[in-house]
Formats: sequence, structure tokens, C-alpha cells
Amino acid sequence: MKKFGLLLLTTLLTVALVFSVAGCTGQKQEQKVLKVGTNATFPPFEMQENNEFTGFDMDLIRAIGEEQGYKVEINHMDFKALIPALGNKKIDAAIAGMSITEERLKSVDFTKAYFNAGLIIAVANNNETIKTTEDLKGKKLAAQNGTIGAAYCDEVKKLDAKTEVRIFDDIGAAFMELEKGGVDAVVNDHPVTAYYLKTTGTSKAKMVGDIFSADDQYGIAIKKGNTETLNMLNEGLDKIKANGKYDEIYKKWF
Amino acid sequence: MPWVEVFGMGILDNIISQNGYQVVLRNLGYFLGGAGYTIFITALSLAIGMVLGLFAGLGKLSANKIIYMLSTAYIDFFRGTPLFVQIFLLYFGILPVLYDNDPVSSAIIVLGLNSGAYIGEIVRAGIQAVDNGQMEAARSLGMNQRQAMTYVILPQAFKIVIPPMINEFIALLKDSSLVSAITVPELMHRGDLVFANTYEATWVFGAIAVIYFVITKTISVIGDNVERRLATD
Amino acid sequence: MIQVVDVYKSFGQLQVLKGVNFQVAPREVVCVIGPSGSGKSTLLRCINQLEKTNSGQVYIDGEELTHPKTDINKIRQQVGMVFQLFNLFPHKTVLENITMAPIKIKGIAKTDADKIAMELLKKVGLTDKAHVFPGKLSGGQKQRVAIARALAMQPKVMLFDEPTSALDPEMVGEVLAVMKNLALEGMTMVVVTHEMGFAREVGDRVVFMDEGIIVEEGSPQDIFDNPQNPRTQAFLSKVL
Repeated sequence: MKKFGLLLLTTLLTVALVFSVAGCTGQKQEQKVLKVGTNATFPPFEMQENNEFTGFDMDLIRAIGEEQGYKVEINHMDFKALIPALGNKKIDAAIAGMSITEERLKSVDFTKAYFNAGLIIAVANNNETIKTTEDLKGKKLAAQNGTIGAAYCDEVKKLDAKTEVRIFDDIGAAFMELEKGGVDAVVNDHPVTAYYLKTTGTSKAKMVGDIFSADDQYGIAIKKGNTETLNMLNEGLDKIKANGKYDEIYKKWF
Repeated sequence: MPWVEVFGMGILDNIISQNGYQVVLRNLGYFLGGAGYTIFITALSLAIGMVLGLFAGLGKLSANKIIYMLSTAYIDFFRGTPLFVQIFLLYFGILPVLYDNDPVSSAIIVLGLNSGAYIGEIVRAGIQAVDNGQMEAARSLGMNQRQAMTYVILPQAFKIVIPPMINEFIALLKDSSLVSAITVPELMHRGDLVFANTYEATWVFGAIAVIYFVITKTISVIGDNVERRLATD
Repeated sequence: MIQVVDVYKSFGQLQVLKGVNFQVAPREVVCVIGPSGSGKSTLLRCINQLEKTNSGQVYIDGEELTHPKTDINKIRQQVGMVFQLFNLFPHKTVLENITMAPIKIKGIAKTDADKIAMELLKKVGLTDKAHVFPGKLSGGQKQRVAIARALAMQPKVMLFDEPTSALDPEMVGEVLAVMKNLALEGMTMVVVTHEMGFAREVGDRVVFMDEGIIVEEGSPQDIFDNPQNPRTQAFLSKVL
């Protein structure tokens, strides 16, 4: 029995070794790989369903990959870890509902914008005090770490020091905090909040006011100076916009 | 660039970055304030944990079946599930039913319950490590079970459990970083926030690591001193 | 003083006491001898109910210890016990070892308890060790402190469970001397021992146990010089 186990183990190891070597060489010959990082807690842009990454961004990057002859490999990581991961080449590109900002442009390059987002305020259903961005001052606000929404909350706090800002690692927890009554409002990208309310939170929360920071545009981030990937992605984006694929994906999610 | 591969986070790139150095300097007070929260939360949770742990540990040695089962269930649950899960479960699920819970008090409760389970096992092992003859001697003098525990067994168990308790204290202090997820403004959370806006992983988390290390080292030095002072032979 | 009536005791499958009947009169010194595993230590531990008996009764001064309503702690205060391995409290000084029970259980004032303890230490010849921790004492000294600790509760009976078995040979004498003085003062004592010399010299009565029963008992002269039972004869021929 012991001998059999040993034999089995050796066989498995050998097989695994052969396949991994074969896998490496095989890939290089067949297709180029695009390693993409995302934070799959941001529906409907990126999320995880049945063990697969789905959402608008996921469909978009796969379509671009297909168009440009790349095999797209998606990795989930913390939103705030995406930019450092580009820096040390753990990933080639990051697509995660990431807004193009001055601050981020210091660290990474962005493709052309592929989505126009804008922020929106979400409050509890019974909340009648918050109706516009003006009303956020002095309230308890929640947002996701590293997002435009979080940056906006910090700005509000600068205007009124009584404002309490609570920053969560994923946006789902921020919405749960809103439902629980721990915060007065969640400031986040409009499409995400709209999707969340539509799918899970309609009974407890609502959106108020207009979409603001309307110049908030999503782009795909790449390591600074990586023009090869940048051009490839921009070209792919143009192609799917031209052939109707982009519209198809947009309709699917919004 | 083999260094980059080895350390994952692009250590050379970041160490050279002057910006990161300034980020840390600018936020040092903010980080130290976070460390204050970390120590505060850890100390209170440890106090709760010691009380719970004493009862749970004694409960596990109890002849009363119900007390034994309750203690065992408590210890098994909090040792057998990830702290991270417990934090979310209690913060969003259970505690809101009981009171209008805020992150800091919730963190203290969850960490207290969690450490209580580990301390319970430490207490149980500590009591069992005291020679059986001690209990017999105390009982033969006419002490009841509680007197024997209070005057003879627990004082000896106390000395035995100091080193594992120091370990638990340090583990708890480090585990307290997990309550960052429910936005407790402790050290890790503040590091996270600064990192998200600056992307200076090495500098920010390097500074955070140093602060954690200074605190844990201080605890272990104090622990060693206590241990030495209590030695009788 | 002590009455043991038809006591049975087993540990799991192993029957250790198989119907033991046994009496001790006031001021009597009874030595229990027998091969290891004969049940003599278990009998001693059953007398103050450190081991719960399976059946049978134990009375001390007419009070039944085996009755479920009896306050066993109250009776144990009057029954001192000395263990083979001393079982001193290592976290307390010699003096504190002796005064703990009187202070905590009887509620005696610390100054009074200290005074009594110092007298007892004088009796066992260890006044100079009062403030030392047990870890610093030799085996013989430890056992003498253990005797003083038991005496501090002013017991009516003293039980000794092989008090010299764990000692180096040169320390056996000092402990036996203390016990002999105690016997001369009129203390009621039950001594489980392998020291045949002590049993012969100090014992009023000697009880020989084997395989969970009392095989033979009588005066030291009867047992040692003229044993009746072949098992007693066999045992004595090995140890004497």
C-alpha cells in the first residue's frame, strides 16, 4: 500500500511537471497572454458569479483581447493594489471601473475613456435630510477605499470637519453599513450604485440628487511608458466601438 | 530586475522613491494615532478575553455537562472559524440586532470573544499542567473545590500561562489589523487609506510594520520581566 | 475513632479494595504494610474520601463520610494527610504553606496563624526555613513542612501515605523522628509504610494487606515475629 502511494505520487508529480513545461512552451507558440487585474466587487462592472469573472469591464476586455489576438487572463486583487501591481509587472493592464484622475496619471497611463460614470449619493429610504451634495456636510459618509467617491468624501470633510468618513475595502460592505444605519450616505460611481439598488437594496436605500463629477471617466490603466500595450488596447477599443460589439455589451449591462 | 520578482512589490523602485519617504513623514502623526487605537482596542479586548477565557477554561474542566458543553461550543466556534468571518458576521449580522453598534465597540467585542476562546484553552492547559497532588493536598486540608482553585491551583496556573498569554497578546494585537475592514481607524486601516491615495506600498507598509514591531517587542520585553519577577525557584 | 466498614473500590476494571473492615481507636498508631498494589494507599485515601468508595461506609468520630449529605470538607479539616511526594504549594513560602488553610478556611487572624506555624516549625526543627520557598528545601525538609502544614489544622487524626518512600536514605530518619514524637504525644495515626523498623517500634498495631483485603492484623510482635498467614510470611521473608 505504501509503495503504491509512493508510486502514485511520483507519477502525479511527473505528469504535473511534464504538463506545466508543455503548458509554458505551448502558450508562447499559440497566443499572446494579456494579464489583467481587477477588483471583482464592483458590480455591474466586475464581479464574480459561479466562479467566473463577469460584468461590463470583463466582457469589454475580453472583446478587446479577442479582437487583438490576446488570451485574457483575469486576476482579482484589492482595488488599491492594482496600480502597484502594474508597477511591478504582476499585471499588464487594470480594468476595474477605474476613473482617470490627475493623481493616478502620475503613477500610470490610461487608455482612452471607455465609460462615462459620475458619482451619485445613496441614502436610506427613510432619509429626507440629504438631497444634494451640499447636505453631505457634517454627516457620516461611506465610500470604497481608493475610489473617486472616497476622494470626494475627503473633500467634504475638508469643508466641514464634523463630517465622518468611513472607508471600506469593498463597496458591498459600504452599502451594508448604509442599510444598517451606521452611515447616512454612500458616495460612489453612479452605475455601480444603480446596479446595487436594482439588484439588492431597493427596499432599504435610494439614490438622491443628480449625478455629479460628471467628467468622471473610466479608463484601462497600464504601467507608465508601456506604449505597446497602450496602443494595442486603444486600437482594440476603437475596433469594438466601430463594429458594434461595445454597444452590444453596454446593452447587456445597462 | 530579479529583486523585483523576489519581493513582489517592486522593492527597489519604491525604496528609491523620495515621494514615499515624504508620505510617511507627513502621515507619521496619523499613523501613531492609529497605533493608539490599535493598543486601546487590543487592551480592552484582552481584558474581556481574559475574563471569558478564565470562565471558558474552567468550564472545559467542569464536571457539569451543560457548562462543559457551552464552554466547548464557545471555544470551538471562535477558534474554528476565521476571525475575519467573525468580524463581518458580528458587525453586520448579530450585533446590530442587539444595539446600535459602531465599529470600535464592535471590534472590541469580536476581538474579545475571539481571544477569550484562545485564552480559554491556555487557561485549561495551565490548570491541567498544575500537578494533581496540589489539588489533593488542598482538599485534604479541608478546602472546598473553589478555595483550592483560588488559593492553590490558579496562582500556579497563572505563572504557567504567562508565556502563552504574552503570545496571545501579541497575536491579538496583530489580528486587530483585521478590523480595518469595518473601518476602525486603527493602524492598519490608516496605512490602507494612505496607501490607496499614494501607492507607496513599501514606504507606507514598511512604516506600519515598524510601528507594529515596536509595540509587540515592547510587550514581549515586559512579559519577560514579569515572568522573571514571578519566578520563585 | 475511624471505622471502615466493608469498603469496595475499583478503578475501571481493576478491583483494588475487596471488602475491607478496619478500625482505629483514639491515640492508636496503626501501620499498614503490604506489597505494592495491595490497596493500602487506596485504603488510606478512602479514609478521607480523596478516593470515593464504590460501596461500604467510612466513619470518623461517628460521622459517616460516605453519606452524601455529609460536609466532607468540614471532616477533612480534622484529618491531616501527608503525601509521598509532599505536595507543598510551590508558590508559597514555608510559613505561608502552613498558615494558608487556617487563615483561609478557619478564618484565624494572620498573626495568630503565624505564631502557631512558628511553633510547629520549631517542633519539626525548621524555624530557620520559615521564609524560604519549598523549591529550596531538601526532600526530608519538605516532608517535615508537610507534616507541620497538616498539623496546623489541629487534626484529630493524621494519615501518612508512604511518607518516606520518595526520600534519599539519609533523610528518612529525620522524618520518622518527627512522626515518632507525634505518636508519643498521643496523636491518632494511620501510616502506610515500607519502614518495618518504624512499624515495629512505633506502631500499636500492624495491618498486613494483600490483593485488596486485610490478610492479617495484630500487635507488631505478633505480625513480625509470629505471622500466621502464609502470605504474610512470604511478604515478610522478602522485606526483612
